[in-house]
Amino acid sequence: MPATEELKAVVNQVPDPDKNGTYVNMDQEKIERIVKLVAEFLKGGRDTVLGLIDMLVEPGKGSDVKPHFALHLLAVHVTGLADDKARAAFALAVASQIGGDRPKGVQKYLIQELRLAGGKEVAETLGKALLDADLCDDAAQALAAIRDGAAEQLLAALPKVQGRNRLAVIKKLAVLRCQEAAEAFRQALGDADADIRIGGAWGIARIADASAADALLKVADAHQGWERFNENDACVALAEGLMAKGKKAEAVAIYAHLQKTRTGPTERHIREAAERALAAAK
Amino acid sequence: MSRPEARISRRTFLQGTTAAAALTIVPRSVLGGPGEAPPSETFAVGLIGCGGQGGEDIESYIKNAGGSYRLLAACDVDKGRLANAKKKFGEHVDLYPDFRRLIERQDIDIVSIATPPHWHALLCIAAAQAGKDILCEKPMTRFIAEGRAVVTTVKRYGRVFQIGTSGRFGAYKSTTGRTIHKIMRSGLLKHCPAVHIHKGGFPVKQYCGLVDPQPQAVPANLDWDMYCGPSPLRPFHPHRFGWSHRYYWDYEGGSLADFAQHYMDPLQWTYGKDDTSPVEIESCAAPAHPEACGVWAWAELKYADGFTVVLDGSEWGPRYQRKEAHQLALSDLDEDTRKKVEALPDPEPPRSFVEAVKTRKESAGHVEAAHRAVTIAHLANISIRVGRKIRYDPVKEEIIGDEAANRLVYQPMREPWHL
Repeated sequence: MPATEELKAVVNQVPDPDKNGTYVNMDQEKIERIVKLVAEFLKGGRDTVLGLIDMLVEPGKGSDVKPHFALHLLAVHVTGLADDKARAAFALAVASQIGGDRPKGVQKYLIQELRLAGGKEVAETLGKALLDADLCDDAAQALAAIRDGAAEQLLAALPKVQGRNRLAVIKKLAVLRCQEAAEAFRQALGDADADIRIGGAWGIARIADASAADALLKVADAHQGWERFNENDACVALAEGLMAKGKKAEAVAIYAHLQKTRTGPTERHIREAAERALAAAK
Repeated sequence: MSRPEARISRRTFLQGTTAAAALTIVPRSVLGGPGEAPPSETFAVGLIGCGGQGGEDIESYIKNAGGSYRLLAACDVDKGRLANAKKKFGEHVDLYPDFRRLIERQDIDIVSIATPPHWHALLCIAAAQAGKDILCEKPMTRFIAEGRAVVTTVKRYGRVFQIGTSGRFGAYKSTTGRTIHKIMRSGLLKHCPAVHIHKGGFPVKQYCGLVDPQPQAVPANLDWDMYCGPSPLRPFHPHRFGWSHRYYWDYEGGSLADFAQHYMDPLQWTYGKDDTSPVEIESCAAPAHPEACGVWAWAELKYADGFTVVLDGSEWGPRYQRKEAHQLALSDLDEDTRKKVEALPDPEPPRSFVEAVKTRKESAGHVEAAHRAVTIAHLANISIRVGRKIRYDPVKEEIIGDEAANRLVYQPMREPWHL
């Protein structure tokens, strides 16, 4: 929805930055003005949110400093109202402008604000954004921050995304400790991309999947350098997770393998970590 | 864009610290004083981040503490800075644009991290996973969950960690500091009436970011994607790079994030708070911008036992007037308790990084203490960013009852990075 002249006039009351381009010039009068403006934006409801978004421009294509700040002020405000309907209404209005023709830089900003103020109500929109190569990483981060309803969207997107975007989806499933992604994590261990293998290893550790322990150890045994550091760490973290879940025998098996195989001087810290854990497990 | 204020210099900072601190704290390392332990070996060091702070921690925490070192490798995302590293540290230094290759070096014992803070946690974790000991420039992290992840990994592999601030050496040397430490650690004080107000020493106005930085071409010598790392890949602007990265939430967190670790490290030791965090946080600030750090007046942080810390910026807005400063003293105790505290032995002196590496014991600026100190800054900044009072669970390390604020405690990262 295009911003009305009335809204543009209200937005224009957002304080100007100082001559250096910062808000060092904030004072009590300007703060009081902002408080009143935010109340007015809130009163304007969905139309105001859409109008503010319509005033945003792609970075480098002009200045949108006032509507940019105004939308964020409103996002922060609705998260502090103890009124989840108002917050959700704001989030849905913002989400309605993702996936269309708006510049990708603007859509990324909207996703950034949903990362703060969004909830389950915007998960589906962000799920669709996972399929947009330019927005996938941002959408995956937002879903991982929102958590509620996120795993379902990430799982649905997983078969449809490739490369770095697949990595984003796998890793955010790991952030969420999504048990339903166990098979995806195991499959990732065999990927041609080292980052995806590392992501899979991390996911297995995060969900403490005992059934993937042998596969993870095998992968870690086979690699060197950066990848091995990460996969070794995933092995130790998996063992810790299993111990916390009461699966002592499975954890001990991992530690024993590391103790037996990490014998070189540069992996002394891995061996000693395993030895400490084995001693504690007795 | 020109900046009207001059950068705060290390010398200015130290003068401000000395004047403002309730306890006189001058880092021994900065003064070049004698170290704790003579060296019996030369440490092989790799440096990540060759900007202004690059190499300072190595001098402060190894050479000035009586150790000896040889810098074998340096890493930076800026090829110009990287080339300068050879001039600064010697022709023998191997150069890496990608930190992963430096971390893979099997002959490096210690990694010194002097990048912008949005990289600190990932680099600390990588170094610990590779079995290296760690010198990490302050602030330790960009958000709270990063700190816990670093603590977990450093402890998992028994690494020695030292944060780049050493105020607690000064706190230990102070009779008052040791007395307060003994009172707090005795467990005899159920309610702490102390109020510590840290006035000034924060360049609040200088550390404000640009609210509308227009994109510019990425310099040919800079790997901008790697620079941004786990943070959002924004269009390049020179103000987001170099010294002024401090003025943006993406990379640091303004004057609070840059300076509070210095001020809170000795205070935290003195008041025995190395293993906990405040539970109630309020702030007075201008409404926060989504990307650029802005002006703030003060932040008040209360611990569960009543101890209150106030960070009063003293540059902008109203001064803090809620409470009067009160330094804990033996006179706050009843006679029986006072006698019990006086009978306690003095705390152990803080251990230098060199001694810690050699003995495999905790250094003075150890990882949990560093995490808890920077958490104070992060909590103050979260309160500023959401514009309201927050409550914090120092055990679960979560904001209570404020979902938006809690999302600033843990911030999912850009690929391919994760905690």
